[in-house]
Formats: sequence, C-alpha cells, structure tokens
Amino acid sequence: MNAKLRDMVISNLIAILTGLALSGLMLLLLNINPLEAFGYSLKTMFSDPYTLGEVFLKATPLIFTALAFAFTYKANLFNIGAQGQFYMGAIVAVSVSLRLDGKVPTAVLLLTVMVCTAAAGGLIGALIGYLKARHGANEFLVSMMSTYVVLALMNYLLRTFLKEGKGEYPQTDPLTKAAWLPTLLPGTRLHIGFLLAVLTAVAVWILLFKTPLGYRIRVVGSNAAAARLAGIRAETVCVVAFLISGALAGLAGFTEVNGVQHMLIQDFNPGIGAAGLGIAILANAHPIGVIFASILFGMLNVMGNLMGRMPGVSIPSSITDLMQGFVMIFVIASYFLRDHWQNRREKRSLQRGAAV
Amino acid sequence: MIVSLLKRALMMSTPLLLGSIAEVIAERSGMMVTAIEGIFLMGAWGGFIGTYLTGSASAGILAAMLAGLAAAAVYGVVTIYLKQHQVVTGTAINILAAGFCTYFQRVLFGVPTSPLKISPLREVAVPLLSKIPIIGPIVFEQNILTYLVYLIIPAAYFLLYRTSAGLTIRSTGENPQAVDVAGISVNRVRFLTVLLAGVMGGMAGAFYSVGYLGMFTSNMIGGRGWIAFAICFLGNWNPAGAAAGALVFGLAEAVAIYMQSIGGGGYFPNELFIALPYLLTIVLTVARKSFNVPAKLGVPYKKES
Repeated sequence: MNAKLRDMVISNLIAILTGLALSGLMLLLLNINPLEAFGYSLKTMFSDPYTLGEVFLKATPLIFTALAFAFTYKANLFNIGAQGQFYMGAIVAVSVSLRLDGKVPTAVLLLTVMVCTAAAGGLIGALIGYLKARHGANEFLVSMMSTYVVLALMNYLLRTFLKEGKGEYPQTDPLTKAAWLPTLLPGTRLHIGFLLAVLTAVAVWILLFKTPLGYRIRVVGSNAAAARLAGIRAETVCVVAFLISGALAGLAGFTEVNGVQHMLIQDFNPGIGAAGLGIAILANAHPIGVIFASILFGMLNVMGNLMGRMPGVSIPSSITDLMQGFVMIFVIASYFLRDHWQNRREKRSLQRGAAV
Repeated sequence: MIVSLLKRALMMSTPLLLGSIAEVIAERSGMMVTAIEGIFLMGAWGGFIGTYLTGSASAGILAAMLAGLAAAAVYGVVTIYLKQHQVVTGTAINILAAGFCTYFQRVLFGVPTSPLKISPLREVAVPLLSKIPIIGPIVFEQNILTYLVYLIIPAAYFLLYRTSAGLTIRSTGENPQAVDVAGISVNRVRFLTVLLAGVMGGMAGAFYSVGYLGMFTSNMIGGRGWIAFAICFLGNWNPAGAAAGALVFGLAEAVAIYMQSIGGGGYFPNELFIALPYLLTIVLTVARKSFNVPAKLGVPYKKES
C-alpha cells in the first residue's frame, strides 16, 4: 500500500512536470522564456496574499465537479455532465437567492440555497441514472448531451425571466451582500465555500469507505457480477450514485453564484466540468486526493492569468487550458508507468518467494 | 421552402455522416473514439488555418485531415499502447484540443481587430443531375465535401463487409484473440482505424470552418462530435444506419436554423431549437434497444504472457 502511494506521487509528479515543460515549449514559440514566465507567476502568487487566496477560490468549484465525477467513477459509471449540473445549480442558486434576498436572515438564506442547489443538480443526475438503470441508455452520452440542454435553458432564462432589471445584458441582477457567502480571509476573495468543499470531500470519503451504501457502490464498480450475486441491486446503486454525483456538481453552482459572481452571467466558468474529470483522474478518484489535485488546478489557473498580465510580454491566457490539458494527458498516461512498477514489484516478490 | 429545408438538412448532415462513419469503422475494431469532439475542433481549426494561409480550400481540407490525424494519434497511443480508459482519455484530448487551437490562433494572429474570414466553399451544381426536379437542387447543388460523403458511405460499407481488411477490423472488435492467433497485430489494426477516424473526423471539422461558416471560433463544434458519436450507436454500428441517423440529425439542425430565422414563429423560444439536436440524442439513446454492440468495445487488448 505504501509502495503504491509512493508510485502514485512519483508518477504524478513526473506527469505534471512533463505537462508543464511541454507548455513551456509552447511559450518558446512566442519567443518568451518559459522559466521567466513560470518564475514570475510563482513569485507573484506566493508573495501576494490576495492572489494566493485566488488559488483556493478557483479550486473550490473544481473540488465539487471532481467529486461528482469521482463518485460515479467508483461505481464504474461516467457522469461527464457535471458542467450542466453545475449550471442547473447556478440557475437555482441565483433564483432562490434573488427571491429570498433581504427577506430572511443570511444564514437561513444560504442554507436554503445550498439545499436547493444540491437538489437541482441531484435531480438532473438522478434522471440520467434512471435512464441508464431503467432503459439501459448510455450514461456518458446522455450526461454529455444534458449539459447542452441545460446551457440552452440557462440562456433562455437569462434572456427572459431572470434578465437584469436594466434589461441590457443577458445576466441577472446582482445579489445584495446579505446573500453572499462570508469571506474566509480578509483582503482576499476567498469565501467559506472553500471550507464547505473540503468538508464535502471528507464527507464523500466517509460515505464511500465507511458506510454500507459506499461499499455497495464500490462493489458494483469493481465487480458487477459479484455484486449481483451478493444481492446488490445495480439499478438502485446507479440512480443513487448519479443523484449524489449531480448534487455535488450542483453545489459548485452555489459557491460560484453566492461566493464569487454574486449574480448569474451567461457562459461563466465553461470548463470546470471537464477540468473536474481531469482532477478526479489525477487523484485516482480518491475524495481526499481531489482536494489537493483541485488546488493544483487552481494554481495552474492563477498562474495562467498571471502570465497573461506579465509586464513586457503578451502571453495568451489560453495557456491555462494548454497547461491543464497537457497535465491531464500525461497523468492519464502515467497510469501505465504505475501499473508497470506494480507488476515488476509483484514479479520480484514472487521470485523471492520461489527462491525461499 | 421544403426544397431549401431538405437541401440544408443534407448539408448539415455532411459532417455528422463523416464523423459517425469514422466512428463506426473504429468502433467495429473495438475502439470508441471519444476524442471525436476534439478531432472535429482540430479539423475546423486546421482547415481554417490552411485555407487562410494558402488561400486554397483544398490545402485547408488537407491541413484539417492532418490536424485530425494528429489528435487521433495521441488518443490512439494513450488508449491502445498505454491501455488507458477511452472515455477519460477522450475527454482530456477534447480539453487539450480546445486549449491548443485557442492558443495557436493567438500565436499566429494575435488579437485581430476584426474577425478573420475565409470564403466558404461554394456550391457546385452537377451538370444535368441538378436539373432533375426537386431531387436535383436538393442532392446535386451542394459543396464538394457533401459529394465526397456520397462516395464515402458505400466505400465504408464495401470496406467493412466486402474486403478482408474489413473482416479483420470486425473480428478485432468481436474476438481479438482470434485475430492475434491469426498473426495480425490487434493493436496495429486498432491504431490504424483510429487514425482513419482522425482523418475523416478532421475533414468533418473542416466542414464547419471551411465549408460552412468561413471562420473559426473555439466553440464552433459545440458537441457535434458527440452527436456523431451518438449516431454511430443509434445506427447500430453500421454505415447505412449511421447515414440514416445523420440525415435525421441534419434535418433537426436544418429545422432549428429555419425556426430561428423566423423567430420560432413567435411561439417557441430559439433556445428550444438550439437544444433540439441534443434533446433528440437523449430521446433516441433512451428509446433505441437491442444494440449490436461490438463485443470488445472499449476493452484494451492484453496479450496473455
């Protein structure tokens, strides 16, 4: 077990560094010294508390979407529609917040919004799970398509019912401070949503590894035939896993709307669903690992933004997507290395056993 | 009006046909090409760059095929030779492709003051055939990519069912051990079908930039790669089925474009029509039963040692 963990850390480090090195090569094409760019962004990030806070701020929704993917992945199911469930959560967060804003105390408002967003995301998730369990529909196809449907719904609502009072842009009215998630550290934008995300990750870990439900989910994931023989209903597990997965992604809508944007803007955070998948893979779908992997992705995000603002040169901010994409590919590829090491170790221990 | 609607339906089904037939060939060998969305995007970008820099649409389409090939090659290496999960790898490639295109668009062109344009492919009327009433203007007044697809459907059918290569491809998806015992490398067959899917998917992507809109934006594919992926499932892993499915989706897109142009007739919001192809995918995925799924679809081949 220890050796496995060491393999994982080493192979992930190799993968991350390779990914960053390749992104650095891409900077060379712009005649920019990558070491200078990385150095500048790292130095600025760690010397300025506000920017450091941004790392954890960006990590917050990623923890939720990564948990969403990881959760169904444990049951060998694929929810690649976290983006849509997140948007659904965001729509509900802003609608409920605007309705309750100024009418109830902040704590009541935030709790209500939290429950509603989780329910909204969970509903979409459960629907996908139901279509898979009852009708055998391909779940990753349905979840992928659901994102585009929710996106169209969001654009429609922003053009009609939710459109701001001024009627100028496709966005909602801003929430008043009473509906904001409280700030965690003064002088930064970091809000208590980050704490909620970390606690949720711990809760998901307990759910998966310390409860009967989690056990059933993992059994279905690792050996569906054995699960059936043990009397576990795979259909129920599928719906429940998708329900929880969707609820997790929906919560990202809560932290982003009430914690960061304080309104709903068209097409915001378009990549967090996909990034969540990469993070879950980086963490080997382990809920606690997800926290650290999300912080890494938050860091890449902030570094990309900082490079974009680096004085004297012009680096496109899309370098962030490039860094995240390269890191993801190499992390996936590094599983091969990990399996190879594991095989070699097993072979050696067998040989040792034979010698004795 | 019906004629122009059907004409547009055929046009919009062109890239879906290319993509879904590419997917059929690869999936018959056991490979889901979940990177198809990224391959489409790379094709759209490659096609735009090639056409913009050389001024020739054929150079653009060639560049698109190469761009699709490159994305497929990365996908193939990771999923076939490194044996990693196909859905996960595909999603990563899709993200990488989006970042790659956006980044290099900036590297090459900076931030242009006005959007960069190329002239989209012209429609070419086939002499005589286009004079046939109704069918002529629908089928034979299209751009060159659509004509190419007319040829690709029977070609794919012939390849899969009438050649020994096709037999090998299909056997690789059903019983890779047997193929291996016959002395054919399972991995090589799969890699080649993925590369072929990359070339065809790249061409499909070029349809959107070079063939239709005459520009490039990083969100121009908008899930159509995934729709092509779905059509392959819905068409029962058969080129003819895929062709029928692509026509249905082409029609849905044409209706959506038409309804948007008349403002939904005042009753329906535009967004409903934008969502139509995606809703249709969900409904059909749920409704379609008894698939003829390749037995080893998505399973990496490991030799017994």
